[in-house]
Amino acid sequence: MPKKPIIICVTGGKGGTGKTFVAVNLAIMFKNNGNEVLLIDGDVENPNTFLLMGAQLENKKEVPYFVPKIIEEKCNKCGLCAKNCVAHALLHIENSFPIPMLTVCTGCKLCYKICPEEAIEADSKVMGWIYNTQINNISLFIGELKPSEARSATIVEALMEDLDEIIRNEPEKFDIIILDTAPGAHCDVELLISKADIVIPVTEPTKFGEIDLTRIIELIDLIKKDYRTIVNRSSLLGFRDEFLKNLKENNIHILGDIPFDEDIVSSYCQGLPLMDQSNKFKHTKGYKAFQIIFKELDNWLKSKQIEITG
Amino acid sequence: MEKKIIGILSGKGGVGKTSLAASLASLASEDSETKPIIIDCDVDAPNLSIILPFNSKDEINKKETFTSLKGIFIEDKCVHCKECIDNHFCEFNALKWDENNQIPILDYLACEGCNACKVLCPEHAFEIESVKSGEIISYESNLGIPLIYGKTRLGSTTSGKLVSDVKQYAQQLEEFNESNMILIDGPPGIGCPVISAISGLDYVITITEPTPSGLHDLIRVIEVIEHFNINFGIILNKADLKSNFQKQFKKFIKKTGYHLLGRINFDLSIPESISFAKPVVNHKPNSDASLAIKAIYYKLKKILWTNN
Repeated sequence: MPKKPIIICVTGGKGGTGKTFVAVNLAIMFKNNGNEVLLIDGDVENPNTFLLMGAQLENKKEVPYFVPKIIEEKCNKCGLCAKNCVAHALLHIENSFPIPMLTVCTGCKLCYKICPEEAIEADSKVMGWIYNTQINNISLFIGELKPSEARSATIVEALMEDLDEIIRNEPEKFDIIILDTAPGAHCDVELLISKADIVIPVTEPTKFGEIDLTRIIELIDLIKKDYRTIVNRSSLLGFRDEFLKNLKENNIHILGDIPFDEDIVSSYCQGLPLMDQSNKFKHTKGYKAFQIIFKELDNWLKSKQIEITG
Repeated sequence: MEKKIIGILSGKGGVGKTSLAASLASLASEDSETKPIIIDCDVDAPNLSIILPFNSKDEINKKETFTSLKGIFIEDKCVHCKECIDNHFCEFNALKWDENNQIPILDYLACEGCNACKVLCPEHAFEIESVKSGEIISYESNLGIPLIYGKTRLGSTTSGKLVSDVKQYAQQLEEFNESNMILIDGPPGIGCPVISAISGLDYVITITEPTPSGLHDLIRVIEVIEHFNINFGIILNKADLKSNFQKQFKKFIKKTGYHLLGRINFDLSIPESISFAKPVVNHKPNSDASLAIKAIYYKLKKILWTNN
């Protein structure tokens, strides 16, 4: 059987629970384990992976997006384009040329496809960028939405096209592919979860963390994926045991927990990942917690009969 | 006082938008000069209602929204010509071909309801229908002020649209007309829901923390706020975090000249107040965090109502 990479999606619902922190450190642990790792930053509104890894944004590639351009010489002002645009992105007043309203255009190209006079040209604008870089022998793809543009999904789709291409053309290049998502439970998050073999939602022991976790699990179930939760900052306020017990009682699958640790904050602020072999965090609580989590993750993959080669 | 609409945004998630919004609402509810209402526009994770629950269960208004459009495939009309696939009707990859049955499969999650398949299919084998996109809930909160929030239906792909619907719904309420201070708790990020939340604001409070990602995401959200030409101030939360990044943050404020609206030092009264589901200014009125938020509230009032 040809080898296929294992795709792990790290998500969480609530913002600021430690999604990127977990995604980056898992990537490093797999690398330390001898695996070929690709990390894809799919939080395109606010990509942060490279900051945590001390990487530079390199090999910038534009992500273009369709916008309609009216060729006035050809347009007979019939208004068919505006009539069929459900996004109301074309304003047509009788006997005048249609006016594109680009902020609401979804890029469906229907106007371009149906114009009987071929008076609409497919023009394009930049929706954002994709970067492709390497740091400590980990490959990193980063998507970035251009500020003031709205369609983040376009960038996530472009990232996923690159992912599909790798799986199609170079299925043996990577052993592990980790996807880091945005907060929330919207279409960008959905798309990344749907590409994964397993999903790891990251939460924190607060009421907000619990409620947003329940919501993201609902979405994971809807997409029919297997998940296990990581509880980050678990020692905060002394609610660890109660919080974990409560999750278990609600039949939420748990992978492990990471205690609150000032060394983690320090590693985060320096762009020096906690699990990096060469640095000084080896004796911290966070480091030990990650080692336990990694072992549990390995057991989980084995139970799904997925073998990590390395 | 003139009506002002104030949004709270952050770029990065989990830096304290909702906690701040609840405390500002609480202070405004006790202020004889202001008549506040509060709107939670984080429709993917609407958490404000946990801190500001309803006064009476009988007075909760719920309205389902059907602004999400989705295609439906009508198999009876299909002549298996495969034109929908061959001519790439769908730009959102929501149409795939079922080789066994020789019909298209419509991927509900990917579909954006754009109308293309309906218009382009020569046999009219597609229709577009309105489906439930979420709900809008409004009630009088325990602070005695109206709270309005939206919640997306999972898989409806319409967070930004629902944010607009929530704001539109709020504007039709009598309480909105009578109010002079409208607080909007915004979503994280800089994408579609944030852009929907920003339109029509008089002022934006941006809140962040002194970490590399906190600053990076703040810069991105400011770029959007400036694009829409709205006045804003910055609040630094967890301001005393032991981080060698503090210097870079100070340098950033100095270099840009942006207005620093306030600093809130890390204080256990904040996570504690969240676990007790109360605004921190009510839970521990004299904690450092509460005093910092009170100072921010008065500064905000001064900026909004005396500098005209």
